[in-house]
Amino acid sequence: MLAELMQSLSSDVSRGMAQAAGAVTLCLAVVLICRWFAVHVERETVLSLVRGLVQMVFVGIVLALLLHGNALVGMLILLAMTFAAAVTASRRAQGIKDALLLCFYAIAAGAGVVIVGMLATGTLHSDIAILVPVGSMIIANAMNACAQSIERFSADVTAHVGQVEAGLALGAEPAVTVAPYVQSAVYASLLPRLDMLKSLGLVWIPGVMAGMMVSGASPIYAGIYQFIIVVMILAASGIAGLLVTLLIRTRAFSPAAQLTLRPGEPHKPRLAAVNAQ
Amino acid sequence: MSHATPIKSAPVIEYAEYAPQEADRRPTDWAAQAIAVETKNLSRAVVDKVLVRDISVQVQKGEVLAVVGPSGAGKSSFLRLLNRLDEATGGTVLLDGEDYRAIAPRELRRRVGMVMQMAYLFPGTVAENIAFGPLQRHQTMSQEQIKALLDRVALPGYQDRDVSTLSGGEAQRVSLARTLANSPEVLLLDEPTSALDEASAHGIEELVLRVIRERQMTCVIVTHDMQQAARIADRTMYLEAGKLVAVVPTNGVSHAG
Repeated sequence: MLAELMQSLSSDVSRGMAQAAGAVTLCLAVVLICRWFAVHVERETVLSLVRGLVQMVFVGIVLALLLHGNALVGMLILLAMTFAAAVTASRRAQGIKDALLLCFYAIAAGAGVVIVGMLATGTLHSDIAILVPVGSMIIANAMNACAQSIERFSADVTAHVGQVEAGLALGAEPAVTVAPYVQSAVYASLLPRLDMLKSLGLVWIPGVMAGMMVSGASPIYAGIYQFIIVVMILAASGIAGLLVTLLIRTRAFSPAAQLTLRPGEPHKPRLAAVNAQ
Repeated sequence: MSHATPIKSAPVIEYAEYAPQEADRRPTDWAAQAIAVETKNLSRAVVDKVLVRDISVQVQKGEVLAVVGPSGAGKSSFLRLLNRLDEATGGTVLLDGEDYRAIAPRELRRRVGMVMQMAYLFPGTVAENIAFGPLQRHQTMSQEQIKALLDRVALPGYQDRDVSTLSGGEAQRVSLARTLANSPEVLLLDEPTSALDEASAHGIEELVLRVIRERQMTCVIVTHDMQQAARIADRTMYLEAGKLVAVVPTNGVSHAG
């Protein structure tokens, strides 16, 4: 495996580096033009270029090693990606108890159902070279849906504390008082995916389709397969967005049906629950 | 399904003719009355601040108790503890002698209704807002019941009005009617007139006074207006920095203020 990797490196690295040098030159030219207008981004740009190159070379090496693994390795990679996605999404829910776990559940459920479904129906091959890239797309979109749902739900509830508490004061279930905000949160998380589906082929030709065509697949089949992927992304996002909103909703109230998600204090666990029974 | 407690039809209040009368006040021998609400060493602290500090007070059935004090004294914080919108970090509240933590929060809040400083009406019609509380218990209010309640708060024919078209005073009347639709035993009022202009505030105050007198409701009202406390309440409790400073018959506070 290592020999293969080294061979790949020796044959491709020099060509890639030459192409990268061209791209970097163009980028530095833009930096110089910016400097002419007193926009100083030289240091930051150089650092970003170096960092980006090193990271991508590192990722390439890791993938070159991993892509020779079996389906189990692929599933482990997807699991790790799901965890990383949960870490990212949970940053939108700072202070909410168990936010990381809730995001992990939601993303794992959304992406998991779709990936397992695709594997079961033969739409997706268990070959690690296909499973990981397609799975990562689904996980990434589930993560975005998750983050967008949390953001919208928190913003709506904290902007309508009066309405929510008016409902509670009238004896409503907590779920009833925030029902409109659950709906808007899930809708907001699905909207970008719906737009993506609508603009498919018109505004953008996704990478999977392009890759399949480059590797010799029929353009029509490549197009249909890309459609399937986007639909699966929509399904995974829907599950993740809905599930995380419902889970976060349970954390927005204390056991005594008191609203604890409030503006200015992004859901710090307050003393409200101390005396709750 | 019918409403739990039938809502009596009543004539529209003629506000122009109404002014609080001394005769409206009930006997001030509160010790002889049954206790509706009792707080026992009630406290609430958040992070690094004590909002309500060790308050013990009794409110008799049918009594109107005003809570006054300077801004930040903990008046609203105290009121929010009475229907458990916030959780006490010390002490408790007895409702008809029963520890309110033993009562399901939803049932507690039906029994202890609250009108907030702002109306916070839900999008929709006036009728939908009024029917909201009973609907949470799967009880549907009839059109007659809604109409009677609207008559009660001097908004006849308003049932189909969209709440977005209401003035501040009208919205607060709907908010009061919405709370009354739950047939609460205790009414909490959190500065219900402070966000209104003088004319609307005066109307709401008269309305509140008439309703609580007619229904013989136990009422706790937060106000920053000593004169309002004197007009409405039987007794007044004075808070400062979350602490109970005094509970006195209203006249005493009125004279002091």
